[in-house]
Amino acid sequence: MKFLVCLKQVPDSTVRVKVGGDRRSIAAEGITWSISPYDEYAIELALERKDADASTVVSVVTVGPARSRDALRQALAMGCDDATLVTSEADLSALDVAKALAAVVNEAKPDVVLCGKQASDDDQGLVGPALAEALGWPHVGMLTKLVPGASGLELWREVEGGHEVWSAAPPVVALVHKSEKEPRYPSLPGIMKAKRKEIPEKDLASCGVTPGAPRPEVALMDLPPQRGQGKVWKLDGDAKGVAEQVAKALREEAKVV
Amino acid sequence: MDPELPEEIRILQKTVRQFVENELAPHEREIEERNEIPRAVIDAMAGAGLFGIGHDERWGGQGFGKLGYCVAIEQAGRANASLWNVIGASAGLCGTAIEIGGPDEVRERYLPRIFAGEMLGAYALSEPGAGSDAGSLKTAARKQGGEYVIEGFKTFITNAPIADVFVVFANVAPDRGSKGITAFVVERGTEGLTVGPNDEKMGLHGSTTAQLFFSGMRVPAANRVGEEGQGFRIALGTLDVGRLGLAAHSVGIAQRLLEASARYAKTRVQFGKPIAVNQGIQWMLADGATEIHAARLMVYDAAARADKGERITQRAAMTKLFATEMLGRVADAAVQIHGGMGYMRELWIERAYRDARITRIYEGTSEVQRMVIAGGLLEDA
Repeated sequence: MKFLVCLKQVPDSTVRVKVGGDRRSIAAEGITWSISPYDEYAIELALERKDADASTVVSVVTVGPARSRDALRQALAMGCDDATLVTSEADLSALDVAKALAAVVNEAKPDVVLCGKQASDDDQGLVGPALAEALGWPHVGMLTKLVPGASGLELWREVEGGHEVWSAAPPVVALVHKSEKEPRYPSLPGIMKAKRKEIPEKDLASCGVTPGAPRPEVALMDLPPQRGQGKVWKLDGDAKGVAEQVAKALREEAKVV
Repeated sequence: MDPELPEEIRILQKTVRQFVENELAPHEREIEERNEIPRAVIDAMAGAGLFGIGHDERWGGQGFGKLGYCVAIEQAGRANASLWNVIGASAGLCGTAIEIGGPDEVRERYLPRIFAGEMLGAYALSEPGAGSDAGSLKTAARKQGGEYVIEGFKTFITNAPIADVFVVFANVAPDRGSKGITAFVVERGTEGLTVGPNDEKMGLHGSTTAQLFFSGMRVPAANRVGEEGQGFRIALGTLDVGRLGLAAHSVGIAQRLLEASARYAKTRVQFGKPIAVNQGIQWMLADGATEIHAARLMVYDAAARADKGERITQRAAMTKLFATEMLGRVADAAVQIHGGMGYMRELWIERAYRDARITRIYEGTSEVQRMVIAGGLLEDA
């Protein structure tokens, strides 16, 4: 079976994000970039299939600026077989990204396309469904597990208070919520092997995409307001008395109970 | 000159950092309290390939060169310093000595297992009368048929209590001074080898250290590393790499101390405001950040040059001197910024302060580094 995982390079979750001078984007200086966490889960799910059946091929693709090559290299080091970079220095709309990915999918002809359910930078969650739409493929969201089943694939998805098992015959697009195991570290031999792999590069034109799909624009980006100082009460009395005073303060002053 | 690390080294950096923070750092306190590293933790480091980083793939190493070696060690500095000490003494010193000295037959026999972490190594150079002046060592080796008979003793040997294999330096021709020094691989269990009890140290409590005693110890000639009389050259070449590693480790430890100090300074409120607003604290942090930056560049520069095949004795000495002295200052400032809490065992800061002190002593004291630097300088003048 052939998997194609679509990933996005985003600011690492440990980065303290700052708002840029234009107040419509983040300040890019000094940022460490990583694979978006949900995309890492998607890679892990695909690689688990490869662990179980060595004939499985796991490819990765991203649409993004040249620095995104690092994220693809990271995926190769984790054990993916090949990678494709569609370069665009401009910030694209979800629809344009989906169209470019669709061109790569049509060329690579995978059985299963996995995407993280959303990227951790803008949290829009648009690219996966748009890609399924562009391809005309069925689409399943909130995936947590993927196993071969009688009629193709068993797709486990998380729902409120439990899970559902769906079945689908490939080809299918699935959006990953989580993997059972944490995404693996690259192995050291994997890093050396990844170093020797070519990552072919395409541009939007070769994917047949002219960017410009309609999109909303960010009007303003702001950090949450600074939290105010806490308040210290000096309370006297026994435990019951103190508890009563705290409950009263929480209800009447803080208005939280 | 490319100021950016190569792509594969950046992935290595991130991978080692995640491993150290997620898998090793949670054991820090346990290691300190038990005075030992649980074997499962050593095995986890072996499983992750840490023992082989920077060593030749031909001998079972992971590759990545000395730059990768240093970048990885820097990240290893983000957990208990004892952890890297075990790897540094095993693969870094014992392994490097065999890698440098050869012959291939000895390399093939030991290196793949040392670089896989299946076999732990130790490096036995220091003696009670031969520390900084290693060339004056008294342990003697006498050839007898196809064997050498070794007599003498060694002191402060890191990993000795747990090592499977030792590189032992002994003199085959004491009248020729350091030119008689020869290296041998000695396996644990060899008759005539006695390992003393674990030494009690100021810091590095998880890392074990002991004396070795050799009494009529017979070592096959096939276990000789390099030729007779090449031992001192092998020892010095090994120390160039070891010093670089120690400098990289110092950078990583200092970086972690600086980050913890900055965080603490922002949250610790005195006189109604965080102490971070005080210029006295800010200057400590600024000086630390500046010195760490300088030391890191020195490490990367020397490592990249070593990978190009340059001899780095001078640079390794400068880097080790500056990075370890820098760590001393940063660790001292970290305790100062943390105040009373910095002196308490509850935090890891006081442990890091104690652990840091040895870096200015082992693998060549700061004074020996200055001797090496000045020696080279005057030779070229």
